[in-house]
Amino acid sequence: MTASAPALAIRDLRFSYPAASWALSVPHFEMAAGEHVLLVGGSGRGKSTLLQVVAGLRDLGSGSVEVAGTRMDALRGAARDEARGRSIGMIFQTFNLLHGFSALENVLAALMFSSMPAAGHEQRARTLLSTLGIAAADADVDRLSVGQQQRVAVARALAARPALVLADEPTASLDPENTETAMDLIQSACRAEGAALLCTSHDPAMRARFARVESIDEMIHGGAR
Amino acid sequence: MSARTLTDGQIVMRSLRARPLSTWITISMVATSVALLLVLLGMRTAARGAFDRGSGNIHLLVSADPSPLVAVLNGIFYANSPSKPISWAKYQSIRSAFPYQWAIPTQQGDSYRGFPTMATSADFFGKFEPVAGEPWKLASGRFFERPFEIVLGAAAAKGSGLKLGQQVFLTHGSGASREGGEPEEHAGHEHGEYPFKVVGILEPTGSAHDRALFVDLESSWILHAHDRRERAGIEGVTTSADLEDDDRKVTGILLRLPTRAGSDASAAMQQQFDTLRRDTAIVVAQPAQQIQKLFEIVSNVDGIFIAMAVVVLISSALSTMLALYNSMAARTRQIAVLRVLGASQGRVFGLVLTESLVITMSGALAGIALALLGGIAASAWLKASIGLVIDPSLDPRSTVIVLGGTVALGGLAGLLPAWRAYQVPVADNLRPAA
Repeated sequence: MTASAPALAIRDLRFSYPAASWALSVPHFEMAAGEHVLLVGGSGRGKSTLLQVVAGLRDLGSGSVEVAGTRMDALRGAARDEARGRSIGMIFQTFNLLHGFSALENVLAALMFSSMPAAGHEQRARTLLSTLGIAAADADVDRLSVGQQQRVAVARALAARPALVLADEPTASLDPENTETAMDLIQSACRAEGAALLCTSHDPAMRARFARVESIDEMIHGGAR
Repeated sequence: MSARTLTDGQIVMRSLRARPLSTWITISMVATSVALLLVLLGMRTAARGAFDRGSGNIHLLVSADPSPLVAVLNGIFYANSPSKPISWAKYQSIRSAFPYQWAIPTQQGDSYRGFPTMATSADFFGKFEPVAGEPWKLASGRFFERPFEIVLGAAAAKGSGLKLGQQVFLTHGSGASREGGEPEEHAGHEHGEYPFKVVGILEPTGSAHDRALFVDLESSWILHAHDRRERAGIEGVTTSADLEDDDRKVTGILLRLPTRAGSDASAAMQQQFDTLRRDTAIVVAQPAQQIQKLFEIVSNVDGIFIAMAVVVLISSALSTMLALYNSMAARTRQIAVLRVLGASQGRVFGLVLTESLVITMSGALAGIALALLGGIAASAWLKASIGLVIDPSLDPRSTVIVLGGTVALGGLAGLLPAWRAYQVPVADNLRPAA
């Protein structure tokens, strides 16, 4: 990542599912390094799809997606997977932890695909987990509480020091009190690591937490900067 | 202590441990089929080795049996008593017709408690080696030196329970016999007047000779001359002085041709074989050739067994494939998560393929251990029960081929599940469960 490179830059993005009449179109969207952006919009408007396209999990039809100076759309196969592991962290509504693995191993899993030297993996993982309040790093994730599992998921997303964290409806299944706690955790951790955060939500209450809020409906019409 | 990392190997092992029953069943199936295949291959080699023992350093075997194969089965493996004798004059004429290294006469037909007896000359112990390069060894006592002394093969000694110094009476043909004392009721035609004294017990040789008892030729002739004299109404003890030419019979001649120093082969073999074959009164056999013939007869049968074992091995590979393929349905999310974290399609393909290889490699190694342990147990049992020495070690070439073949099958079995993992649609499998 170059110092001046934006965390995310999208230009003339167009994506559609095969044989679908609906298409996602984003003329222009940019996020500065370390910037936190909330992406709002109703269900089925394409928020999750946009995150998947940014992460290189779906091939876009045209346009470009640049993450921390790397053109994700220009990469194919293993190169794109490697770039994703190095530059992008993802947090999911249901955490998507590796079951049967410990909290430490879940974080190590993110590091094994990163460019970070192996000698530093354990220290990095333990430090992150400790910072996020996980004392039992060697405990199987299935034995942890839901709140602790979310902390592990956040630690895993940040482990490889990504430039950009994509959080897809991370609080959709939480009550308002836990939503506050979870978002405090995610945002503070991203700030501490210097990572940009693109968070999707259909919860209007989330708007207050972000300095910048973008609507998917406006974005697809070229309204975002 | 080195810092911990997560490796592909750990992911593979964790994945296998996550479904222990399926993993152990598939490993056990592979192990069983590998062990079965190795045991069958090993038995074929070992049986060949066991049959090769016994003919030892004989070049040719002469008898009056109906065929060379029967001559070998009777004369070396004691399958039956030879039905036709060869006269002593014939033996002498054969011996003097060519400068053999040695020509050892043998006579079979009597037994002791079902163990065959071989009457022969002292050269049988001095020159004939039951296994080439391995001369006879005594476990206790000595070889026979005088008439009516008997030497026991290792299995015969163990089976009969006879000890040095004990007296035995031989039976004409097969049938019950007794130790010193009165004849038992229902005993066969026993040579009751002539007790033999046990003077030696042989070390095991791993050949059929271990089941036999050995006496000197003249004692055997006296036994049968006594029978002849009894039938003729002549009473009294029979001695060597009473022997007539017709009493001096043998049933086999073990021949060794001259060889060059350091070589077991003889340049005169074929010529002498052909010369002896012209005599229609006898049958001449090259033991090695007849044993090869015997194996050609039975090779079709063990070929079927080995083919069946290969089918079982292929079935176990198919089971591995099915177990892995079915597990993919429950692992698509895990695969999708690994992909999100940066694992390439090739890497997840490799992970699943490695799982298949780990299962089959573990199964193959367990199968080799199983075959080795089974071989040792079977070898000990065969040696103890029938004196047959089977080498329990696995043939390295067969083992490597079976190991390589099993791993290759494991690789093939892993291809389909690995392809399924390769094709897992990442984004679709990260959604919250419905």
